[in-house]
Amino acid sequence: MPLFKVENLTYYYPGTEKPALKNISLEIREGEFLLVTGGSGSGKSTLARVLAGLIPDFYGGRIGGKVFFRGREIRTLDRRKLAREVGMVFQDPEKQIVQSCVEAEIAFGLENLGLPPEEMSRRVAEVVSFMNLSPVQEAFTANLSGGQKQKLALASVLAMQPRVLILDEPTSQLDPVSAEEILNVVKRLNEEMGFTVIMVEQRLERCFHLADRVLLMAGGEIICHGSAAEGAREAVRRGLPFVPPVARFFACLNSPVVPVTVKEGRELLQSYLKGNIAVTKPDVPRRNHNSNIKEHEKNSIISLKNVWFGYPGGQEVLKDISLDIKEGEFVAILGENGAGKSTLLKIMVGLLRPGRGRVYVRGKEVGRNGFKEIRKFTAYLSQNPNDYLFQETVEDELLFTMRNFGLKDRGHVEEILHRLQLEPYRRRNPRDLSSGERQRVALASVLVTGPGLIILDEPTRGVDLGLKSVLGHFLQEEAAKGKTVIVVTHDVEFAAEFAGRVVMMFAGRIVADGEKHAVLGRSVFYSPQISKLCRGICDGVLTFAEAQEQLGPLLAAKPAALIKSTGEKAIWGRAGGCTPH
Amino acid sequence: MFDRLFYREKGLFLQSFHPATVLVYLLVLLILSLIYDHPLYLLALFLLLALLIREVDGLDAWEGFLKAGVFLMLVVMMVNPLVIRAGKTIIWHGPAVPFLGKLDISMEAVYFGAASSLRLLVIISIFCLYNLMINPDKILNLFSRVAGKSVLVMSLATRLFPTMVRDLQRIREVQQLRGVDFDTGNLWQRAKKYSGLYNVLLLSSLEGAMEIAESMQARAFGSGRRSVYSRNILRPRDLFCLGGSLLALSAAVWGLRYGYGRYTFYPEADFLIKDGATLAVLFIVLFYLSVPLILSKGWKHCRFLKSKI
Repeated sequence: MPLFKVENLTYYYPGTEKPALKNISLEIREGEFLLVTGGSGSGKSTLARVLAGLIPDFYGGRIGGKVFFRGREIRTLDRRKLAREVGMVFQDPEKQIVQSCVEAEIAFGLENLGLPPEEMSRRVAEVVSFMNLSPVQEAFTANLSGGQKQKLALASVLAMQPRVLILDEPTSQLDPVSAEEILNVVKRLNEEMGFTVIMVEQRLERCFHLADRVLLMAGGEIICHGSAAEGAREAVRRGLPFVPPVARFFACLNSPVVPVTVKEGRELLQSYLKGNIAVTKPDVPRRNHNSNIKEHEKNSIISLKNVWFGYPGGQEVLKDISLDIKEGEFVAILGENGAGKSTLLKIMVGLLRPGRGRVYVRGKEVGRNGFKEIRKFTAYLSQNPNDYLFQETVEDELLFTMRNFGLKDRGHVEEILHRLQLEPYRRRNPRDLSSGERQRVALASVLVTGPGLIILDEPTRGVDLGLKSVLGHFLQEEAAKGKTVIVVTHDVEFAAEFAGRVVMMFAGRIVADGEKHAVLGRSVFYSPQISKLCRGICDGVLTFAEAQEQLGPLLAAKPAALIKSTGEKAIWGRAGGCTPH
Repeated sequence: MFDRLFYREKGLFLQSFHPATVLVYLLVLLILSLIYDHPLYLLALFLLLALLIREVDGLDAWEGFLKAGVFLMLVVMMVNPLVIRAGKTIIWHGPAVPFLGKLDISMEAVYFGAASSLRLLVIISIFCLYNLMINPDKILNLFSRVAGKSVLVMSLATRLFPTMVRDLQRIREVQQLRGVDFDTGNLWQRAKKYSGLYNVLLLSSLEGAMEIAESMQARAFGSGRRSVYSRNILRPRDLFCLGGSLLALSAAVWGLRYGYGRYTFYPEADFLIKDGATLAVLFIVLFYLSVPLILSKGWKHCRFLKSKI
């Protein structure tokens, strides 16, 4: 008997006429690791909530079809009993913690189940130990880092000892290290402790290989479910970006085997190229959007000279930072949490004043309240797009910024709405939009002044792969027009694909700065999956397009290996998913 | 910026008491600060509190609390001599003022103002010590058996307050870069600018509230009768401290029956130290109240005591 059985499930959120889920039928076995992926609004989080019993109980709305859990219809199950069987961890760690102390938070669910004190003590102790939360057991939850908060959220669900763990994009708000930690715990829970795991995720390069089955959703429907390799092939065939780069690379080759990890990918690539391995450093064409202007002739837009900064009573956050960013550059700043990246951005826009050193924007030193002098020229997008949204309509949100700067040309509003594909939403309340759409509205609200300097703090956080690509191309176009783009991100794949220059920070210092191939190509840990795949085989390759370009001719020489049993010949770019995202 | 005013777990001895013990102890201090008039007794309580605050590594936080109290203290000290006419020793003959009459300032009124201000500082220091000694979550936990839902609401508020302070700062920065000048314009214009700021905070908080509620529902909140997870442990140190508090209160009440701890300000101020018994009673009360301080010192320096408490 399957653990979950879903029959013809259709669901409408209250007040909507478009179904969030359409005629879903699905079975999930006990102990399975199911990965659910798809774009924003594809219905994956809604499906997770149905399986957790939150829809329609918490959300209301209209529901059709049936969902069975261990043979019984889920809606007939007592809520307490269901909570003992099915636990759910949500996307934002900040929005699921109730108590102010770590230990109390872990016990919260147990108190709700009415367990006796001895049982609670035992379970809390076990979970604290398993999740390695002892050092923060007595800590205030408000003082934990994002990663620790998500670990705590997971711990408080695990303490209830559910049979099934449903995770709704548990790593989307976390830095790579914290994300890895959460995924390792989930892997252990599935492999060593037999938990059934249903994970909704978009950071596929880290979890695709963990899944026994991948479920690809679009428009409220399941468009493919099967093994990771099958999922990759189908996504590539449909031109969808929801495939990790390594799998996409081989799926595009029509390879009979689609590897899902770098290790498998390298083995396969080496077997294809046996005896013909080109351990070369090819002359990868470097895209330069301002090739008509020589580097040294470009104007310096931001220049930091020996900048030091420390928060009052805190440690030094920035240590002797010197950086010169020129017009038309697209710079990605990478580094671990606490490396000082966001503080550096605040120094650049004049929100913070360095303790020592000087900051120049367009050659003029930024003084006290310096942001007032440069803000008309600067667009700054913080990590949380919701901080920007409070007007009645999307259009009003843009007009608000225009009014504040005394700008009247509505042509800018039209242009930016068009370029960010926001025209259909101009009369909608921004708070009614999806997270990806909100992100674009927030971006539009700061770009409407036509700034020459665009500074974005973690713009790809929680954004699906399709929208990420739209954003990346938009920023590349802006840089090509001569605007300066600076992006702080944890997303190495994004930086490798779209940025021109990469700055790496560690503990308040700049440890690497240069053209992206020079910085990321040499890094083992901060390099994209394609670069890891090609290391030692074809060095210097960072992106999917470069891999196609460099390895294509080599692989074309080995047609036999790349011909599927169907006799179909490998042709690059035959499916939409084979174009760079 | 506000972090230092709130409880921070530092692993200190004074933070290891049972919350009920701390509540009783601080309540006794509060009662004594309210029933004592004698400036010397109030001063002794103030000094004891200063030592306790130092012991709990909270001089920074205390400074913050005192800054807030000093304004009130100055108001009391200035207004009291101006409006009280009961003092006999006039130190300054002022002009006649409508409604208030002749502004004669007496030495006794100044004394009374100073003693009242001292009482105010003592009370503020008690609240400061409360913030430094007790994890608010443990206090809430203490009451969750009797008022579970109210306690949960308070716990959520405690958790969300620092988050909201941070959010507000971030939203302000974002709006400043979108061209909003919070420090320019008349009162109405500024109010309008701030309303936008709070509007964002409110909208985001409401959305956050829905997500928190969903997470609570997913963890079976409201599915039936709850039990209470208690993390509070009663140790010998709590018994010593409770004993000390009750003995101090008893000694103080006994002393007050005989006038020790009372002080006459008007018409003529009493002697500060009338007799030896005034000091003896003060010493006894202070000794009992010093039990947590003595235990804390013993914990640090006496291995035997450390193993027993």
